[in-house]
Amino acid sequence: MTPDLSYYGDNIKALADLAGDFELRSPMDVMTWYRREWLAIADALGFAQQYAAVPTAIPTTDDRIAAMNAVGLAAFERSLQGGMPGASGEQARVQSAALRQLTASARTTGELWRVTADPTTLPAGACYIEGGRSLRAFYPDTAAGYFGDGWPGPPPRAESACGWTTPLVLHLGTFPWVYSTRLESTGPGMRWPTSGPVLAGMQTAVAMLEPRTNLQQDARQVAAIFRHFITHTAPLVARVPDHQPGRAEAGRLYRRGGLLYVHQGSLHVAGLDGPRGRIAATAYNYIIRRFAGFFAVRRATLRALPSLGAEVQRLARGSADPFLRRQVQEVARAG
Amino acid sequence: MSRSLWLTLGATLGVGGAVFLAGRRASAASPTQGSSPGSTADLPPIDLAPLPQVSDVSGDLQKNWGDTPLDLRPLFQLMAEVGKIPGAGRLFAVFAVRESKFVTTAHNGNATGEQDERDSSRAAYRNQKDQNPPLKYGEQAAEFGSGGLFGLLAPYFLWTGVPEVGSKAPLLNAPPQLVFQPRAAAFGALVYMQRLLTRYQIDDHADLKAGWANPSLLKGDRGSAKYHEVRARFLDDAKALGIDLNDTSTIPGKLDASAWPGVPAVFKALVGALPKEIA
Repeated sequence: MTPDLSYYGDNIKALADLAGDFELRSPMDVMTWYRREWLAIADALGFAQQYAAVPTAIPTTDDRIAAMNAVGLAAFERSLQGGMPGASGEQARVQSAALRQLTASARTTGELWRVTADPTTLPAGACYIEGGRSLRAFYPDTAAGYFGDGWPGPPPRAESACGWTTPLVLHLGTFPWVYSTRLESTGPGMRWPTSGPVLAGMQTAVAMLEPRTNLQQDARQVAAIFRHFITHTAPLVARVPDHQPGRAEAGRLYRRGGLLYVHQGSLHVAGLDGPRGRIAATAYNYIIRRFAGFFAVRRATLRALPSLGAEVQRLARGSADPFLRRQVQEVARAG
Repeated sequence: MSRSLWLTLGATLGVGGAVFLAGRRASAASPTQGSSPGSTADLPPIDLAPLPQVSDVSGDLQKNWGDTPLDLRPLFQLMAEVGKIPGAGRLFAVFAVRESKFVTTAHNGNATGEQDERDSSRAAYRNQKDQNPPLKYGEQAAEFGSGGLFGLLAPYFLWTGVPEVGSKAPLLNAPPQLVFQPRAAAFGALVYMQRLLTRYQIDDHADLKAGWANPSLLKGDRGSAKYHEVRARFLDDAKALGIDLNDTSTIPGKLDASAWPGVPAVFKALVGALPKEIA
């Protein structure tokens, strides 16, 4: 039985279809789907060469998906070697420590896609010292943007050494596009100062492609962010013509297969301008694919739930998401 | 660039010299808004092979590319590999950011204030047409200005390869809008770089950009204020893009075109075959 994702929104099924359906119990399906997903990630983030160099054999470990993610992450990590600008190691240390704490706590609340925290409760208060000055380790992304209408408060409970006056908000599900107001052609997370926090951010994002972490994430949060994103991008995308093979003009931006495409040109220099700022075409495509990937994995996981073992089923039963709990009950009744 | 400078340039280059302007900022115009009204309308849309992919090249696409768009790196790298000029790819990226801001359909000549570009293409055509093989769309090329990823001046672009293969040059029957096809623009740019490397004194990478602007800067005008200005701007462009010109692990200290495979081979590998209507 294919689970009905419409609980999360009318367009969620179509979104999941964009990433393609697959059968979690089929090793070939899993390999094909995850490899395609990683290829898309690698193309978008510039490590396709490193990813192409990794073996393509079907993983034989108990957890094929974790193995495929590990391979993708290894390729990503290799691409970071030597490519990161020399920047503040102190900032990276603070970022890494903050990400560890944020993700650990978010896993318990089921809100890993977007993490929100009082920065003064994070290691070093999410501040680092450079040139004798105390600086914020992350961008204060609290204005209205493509992922939400803003997070102006509550203000930090303690005084911030580096001037935090708002919560820290990071959209880790779409890493490296972690900020709602900065959807430029290169994800801001890729410009974090050293590979440590970059890798940590990426690990969190792709963990949601693993059934266990996917079920831990409250899909209602993802759906709400997606709805907001679509609400603010759909009017912009509607102005872009559909791509028609054989009739496309060089250099022109088109819609193709639910994503943006530039014919005979670079997607990295294209974008959409709207009231909430410019969104780069590369950012748009990557973000849509991340949402699509999440719900495709959710669908495949729900379908395969009876075979996924007691621990995963227990996770689903204990979820804050009522739809997910209902699915588990139906599986139990059917079983 | 002044009209008189273009006249100098035409004389310096001789037949078929592709010419590239320095210092302009291209307007990103649609090719359908070009400067050759009507007369190429009977042509079917020209669509060459798509941009090269990562799998089409063997060289590194990660290190020392700065902010060069990820999806254009394979094209720049393919140019270096096809032309057998190691390290040239990153320099093409620096040239392109100045000439087109990486917009493949950048068009200089169709916006207010770009009259000089059309004057230049007219002068280029008028001064060279009697010495070069005829261009099927010569008048349109004269009115076109310059464009594409590398800001190529239309008549010289269409005459690419004439010094090497004469009337067998592959673009003689093509309209100037072909320059909006990135593979065709890459062909023109690569042939021109090879020519600079083999026929001029190139002391360093910045000299290549000087020659890109005007070969006379590598001869009589070497050391002039313009020469230094073009070089300085190129170095600034590289820095702003994030490409370290001194990283000899990715860009040799001096580019070498001694293994150049020839215009026909380069055309075949980069462009392939043109549609029969313009071949």
